[in-house]
Amino acid sequence: MIGNKKILSDASCSIPRKALTFLVGENGSGKTTLVKSILGLLPISGGNISFHSTNGTKPILGYVPQNVIFPTPFKLTVSEYLKYAAQVPRNKITNVIKRVDFPESHLSRNITELSGGQAQKMLLAAELYRSPDLLFLDEPLSNVDDSSEKHIIDVILEVKNEGVSVVIITHDWQFVSSYGNHVICLNRNFICDSGYCVCKNSLSKVNIKNIQKTTPDPNSTHSGYCYIENI
Amino acid sequence: MDLIDIISTPFMQRSFLSAVLLASLFGLFGTFIVPKRLGFMADGISHGSLLGIALGLLLGIYPILIAIIVASLYGFMLSRVSSTSNITQDGLVGVFLSGGMGGAIIIMSYVPGYKPELFSYLFGNILTIQWTDIYFLTGFFILVTTIFVSQWRSLVITTIHNDLSHVIDLPVDRTKYFLFIGTSITLIAGVKLLGVILVSALLIIPVLIANQFGQSLRSTFGLTQLIGIFSTLAGILISYVMDYPTGPSVAILLVMILMLALFYKNIKAKLSH
Repeated sequence: MIGNKKILSDASCSIPRKALTFLVGENGSGKTTLVKSILGLLPISGGNISFHSTNGTKPILGYVPQNVIFPTPFKLTVSEYLKYAAQVPRNKITNVIKRVDFPESHLSRNITELSGGQAQKMLLAAELYRSPDLLFLDEPLSNVDDSSEKHIIDVILEVKNEGVSVVIITHDWQFVSSYGNHVICLNRNFICDSGYCVCKNSLSKVNIKNIQKTTPDPNSTHSGYCYIENI
Repeated sequence: MDLIDIISTPFMQRSFLSAVLLASLFGLFGTFIVPKRLGFMADGISHGSLLGIALGLLLGIYPILIAIIVASLYGFMLSRVSSTSNITQDGLVGVFLSGGMGGAIIIMSYVPGYKPELFSYLFGNILTIQWTDIYFLTGFFILVTTIFVSQWRSLVITTIHNDLSHVIDLPVDRTKYFLFIGTSITLIAGVKLLGVILVSALLIIPVLIANQFGQSLRSTFGLTQLIGIFSTLAGILISYVMDYPTGPSVAILLVMILMLALFYKNIKAKLSH
């Protein structure tokens, strides 16, 4: 609920540990709302969100939003952002930005002067340094150029292999079909069944091993439940 | 009278001391209030707090103390307004400004006799600053700077992105209350020097000037402090020599420096083309 408006209901899903999970659905289906609810940024009026970590503690969460608008009169540089957001020591800043293909020459640049793709890379660099257990990426490829796309995908796969549970919101079916073993469909316009996922408005059919349908889900026994598995 | 004579006068020493402490406090809060586009909030809180001053004058209780309570309440209520509230932050500021000033003028009509002190509260008067004010300011300055040092990371990140601050587990609400209530108290602490009408100039304009030249948070913050302290000390000297009220002297000086800075930036940009 945002104000009195119901944004998302009957969203039952689970996010598996140490895997790459895609969250798909058309515009306005509530993908970002679901992620923000899991992150505790939006209140939920019903249901339950639970984290099941192996050591019993709350997992470290990471989040890279799609479009970030920084306040223009705030003169924060990229290196200052990394210092304050992720507490990156000065001698490690170069390595941290290299990991996401962020140009070193932009370190002293004001964060408000960055392009959308550069800002997203900077945010990703900070979140990766924080070593989250569960990392949410909202359209991580939407603003980056073609030359950086491969690099970002490699980094995402690398952190997944390091044991991070990664959840990606995306519209990019190519991306989903190439890497998606787990997909959460949050939409009536997708026909998802065991083994495949089809968007009604396109011919693309994606073969997926593990599909979770969230809306509508007549078979759901625990409506409004999001279970985050064994982080 | 030369500069040494002016500086050796006890009330000028008190003024200079309070000027340095206040300019530094305003620089701290302004660094985060201005980027959040809450400059108008400063005007609303300081103008609306005239209600507390009028109440203090009517009841014979230290007016600044009542004004601090009123301003803190304004700050607290503003910090409770969320993006989904039915009432907006700037709307509430307008309510405080008009309601507070309206209430103050009506209350003042019940205060018997001539009210010369009202002009001092409106535009500032360095003669009214006592040692007790300096002691209060020093204590408040130490408390505020200690909190700033411990909350600096949270202040920086909450200024640029609220959602990320929550995800990083920073004390977002605590930082917001500190920023709003701290700014409100600082505005009233500056009333004796600058007056309720113009006190917000010292919160807003030094940051705007520093933004023209600063390349990083570190350099912008340092410049804000230097500009705030210099313009307040110079403004006090001008007001003493020219016999002007202090608030307008400091405000006009700050506006002139800002205009010069913008002019310089403009010329520099044209030359580089």
